Amino acid sequence: MTKKEFGYSERGFELFQAINEADRCLLCYDAPCTKACPADVDPAKFIRKLRLKNIKGAIKTVKENNILGGICGIVCPVDKLCEEACANTEIDRPIEIGKIQSFLIEYGWQIGFNPITRAKEKNIKVAVVGSGPAGLTCAAELSKEGYDVTVFEENDKPGGVLRYGIPRFKLDEDFLDREIQDVLSLGVKIKCNFPLKEKGSIENLLNEGFKAVFVGCGLTEPYKADIPGANLKNVTTAREFLRAFNTNEKTVEMVRNKNVAIIGGGSVAMNVGVTCKLLKANRVYCIALESMEELPADRADLHEAIDNCVIIKPQSQVKEIIGKDGVVTGVRGSEVELIEPGVFTPSNIKEIPGTDFSLQVDMVIFAIGSGPSPEIKDALPSVKFNERGLIEVDEKTLETSIKGIYAGGDIANGPGLVVEAVRDGKKAARSIIKFLNEEIQ
Amino acid sequence: MKDLSINVCGVKFPNPFMLSSSAVSNTAEMIARGFEKGFGGVSYKSLGRPTMNPSPRMHAYSYGSKRLVGLQNVEQITDRPIEDNLSDIRWLKKHYPDNVVMVSIMGFSKEQWRELAVMVEDTGADMIELNFSCPHMSVEGAGMKVGQAFELVREFTHIVRESVKIPIFAKLTANVTDITEPAMYAKQGGADGITAINTVRGLTGIGLDDFVPYPNIFGKGAISGYSGHCIKPISLKCIVELAKKKELGLPLAGCGGIETWIDAVEFLLAGASLVQMTTSVIKYGQRVVEDMIEGLSYYMEEKGFNKIEEIVGKALPNICETSEFDLSRQGVANYDLDRCIGCGRCYIACHDTGADAIQWDSEKRRPILDEDKCFSCMICSFVCPVSDPPLITFKEVKGKKVYLPPPAK
Repeated sequence: MTKKEFGYSERGFELFQAINEADRCLLCYDAPCTKACPADVDPAKFIRKLRLKNIKGAIKTVKENNILGGICGIVCPVDKLCEEACANTEIDRPIEIGKIQSFLIEYGWQIGFNPITRAKEKNIKVAVVGSGPAGLTCAAELSKEGYDVTVFEENDKPGGVLRYGIPRFKLDEDFLDREIQDVLSLGVKIKCNFPLKEKGSIENLLNEGFKAVFVGCGLTEPYKADIPGANLKNVTTAREFLRAFNTNEKTVEMVRNKNVAIIGGGSVAMNVGVTCKLLKANRVYCIALESMEELPADRADLHEAIDNCVIIKPQSQVKEIIGKDGVVTGVRGSEVELIEPGVFTPSNIKEIPGTDFSLQVDMVIFAIGSGPSPEIKDALPSVKFNERGLIEVDEKTLETSIKGIYAGGDIANGPGLVVEAVRDGKKAARSIIKFLNEEIQ
Repeated sequence: MKDLSINVCGVKFPNPFMLSSSAVSNTAEMIARGFEKGFGGVSYKSLGRPTMNPSPRMHAYSYGSKRLVGLQNVEQITDRPIEDNLSDIRWLKKHYPDNVVMVSIMGFSKEQWRELAVMVEDTGADMIELNFSCPHMSVEGAGMKVGQAFELVREFTHIVRESVKIPIFAKLTANVTDITEPAMYAKQGGADGITAINTVRGLTGIGLDDFVPYPNIFGKGAISGYSGHCIKPISLKCIVELAKKKELGLPLAGCGGIETWIDAVEFLLAGASLVQMTTSVIKYGQRVVEDMIEGLSYYMEEKGFNKIEEIVGKALPNICETSEFDLSRQGVANYDLDRCIGCGRCYIACHDTGADAIQWDSEKRRPILDEDKCFSCMICSFVCPVSDPPLITFKEVKGKKVYLPPPAK
């Protein structure tokens, strides 16, 4: 389903609205918004360009700095990044930077303006594992410089978390496809349905003609809490649920008129909650250990969930999932408090006596994050992993313990933002270019 | 509500606000609605010889998100039959005897000036305004061309003066070097008052695809009359020049960019007894006058004025030549940093265009002003977004030496 089919989406800017919004910008010196952007998209510069009617220049700034600039404009938690930093907040409301950014990219498509070009062919092959935001960005940056880049993607379509982890009502599939098209237009080859899970399969790429490898495979193994009933039918994870929602029309029937308990208090939990409500679920709960103020979800995502009548149950813990004939019928839990404030580990949680609750639900969705795929260690047998199962990289270069193999995004950092994956893709590409230049000399 | 009435040339205006001669004073019914909203008078759209309007006839000049800060037009004098207009003027005087109807005329020959004036007086109109100032007449020998040939101003004014008894205002153009010159000729011809100004000659833009200026009239454009709030500084200075010209000594109707009661008060302070407007009415509708009446009335209450006459010309003693300034007194920009939001616009302005007197503390995101260097250009205060009340104000510093930037090393 697309945003339009939901009749849900907030409308983007038209040109005059974007210019009016840019008109409100204070045009700061050493702008805080620009400093706050992990991927160095430089909002201060593209807003100034738009303000001075240099629209093509503005599009170029976004696209040059972030090949996925349109998507980031939509999915970035701007209220924690550029818009939080916006100096205008002190006298008015912040500039809607994300909306301007995605507008510019969409406008570029409308007027047929593509500012990104490919340098002279270098005939040097580089492999990228995973076509999520880190992989696509790294591939695009290398391709711009003339490298021959092949992306290996295990799913049948590119995009990774963008396609399978973000609900369609937030990020339109057409928009996603169009922005991936920008990557492809640079000459990047994406091989879908191409899992690299066999022993040494990623490392072996270096023996198959690829001069460098970037691993941006993300965290694909969703966590489930180890509580009684977690294996019942209709207990699923946010990742599986969103994937089904984004790819399978039948998901609609899965939750219609049902009660759903979502376990987790992050943005993903909120997104899943809204998705359930849009699919006409009856009662939808988001149950989180954190207090309302501490919920890790973006304020925008939280408000969206509340606006859609998702019931938030903060400072609560589900202790058991109850079932009948192997199918979920409810959850039991109690309210909790932290022994030491700010630490959300199971050992730091204390039940509050007399607060036991039980909810009748037909479905339980865990939205408590994901970990690395169990096969990634096999595919990279010589590469060092840390105690969290993440790939160890040099902070500055993103090089792994094996020369020529780089990694970034969630598989190196743990759960992070799309824009942070973009940052890593750019950073790794710069290191790979430097490495290959040195190799050749 | 204060009494806003004012007596000009023996004619009593209920208030100084008038619709000026233009699209907004084209028909009696339209003007009647304006009177109902509160306009004290009208300068009825210029009568003259039959004419046709180009299509389209106007183009808006916008700035950023501000729409219609200026307006360019190529509209001509009235294109309605003279009989219809005369009938409308009679109708207005009959139904609105307390409102002042001034009628603008534009002759194309001596004889026509006389005929038009006589016809207008016959309708019972209160005053006549001579249009010596339309900057885009499609025929020669009329409008601004007359206003630029001062002898003709005197001659045509004289002809009208000889033909009618009602007061005559000459409406002048700013498209001359010194507006007081034609004003003196008008006075010699017998004018009782001056209206200033008509639209300023301008060009709002050129199409980048077809290379045709705006408004694009089937592939052609022309330099023509430009109006609106953006020309207020020009019209205000014209009123000051006319008001300070002692030999002139005629009542003035100010016109050009008046949008709020504040603009109106400024024109009164500068010496105008009446204020006329078109573009603000085009932009907001006739209802603008409600806010002018209320705003002016509250202002008079606050300042203790009882009659409009007390305001007229009150700023003139403070308006002097630049050579009369006291250069021994100097000051600096004064920063109320507690309210600073750290945008750094002051730093950019001072560094790129001012005395380079500011250092930027990038840690705290605050400007550090070196007062010795500051030469009080005040550009920083113009770009500072904290403007209500202003974060950056002017402060006199006793004995301050003017900073002169040293040569490059």
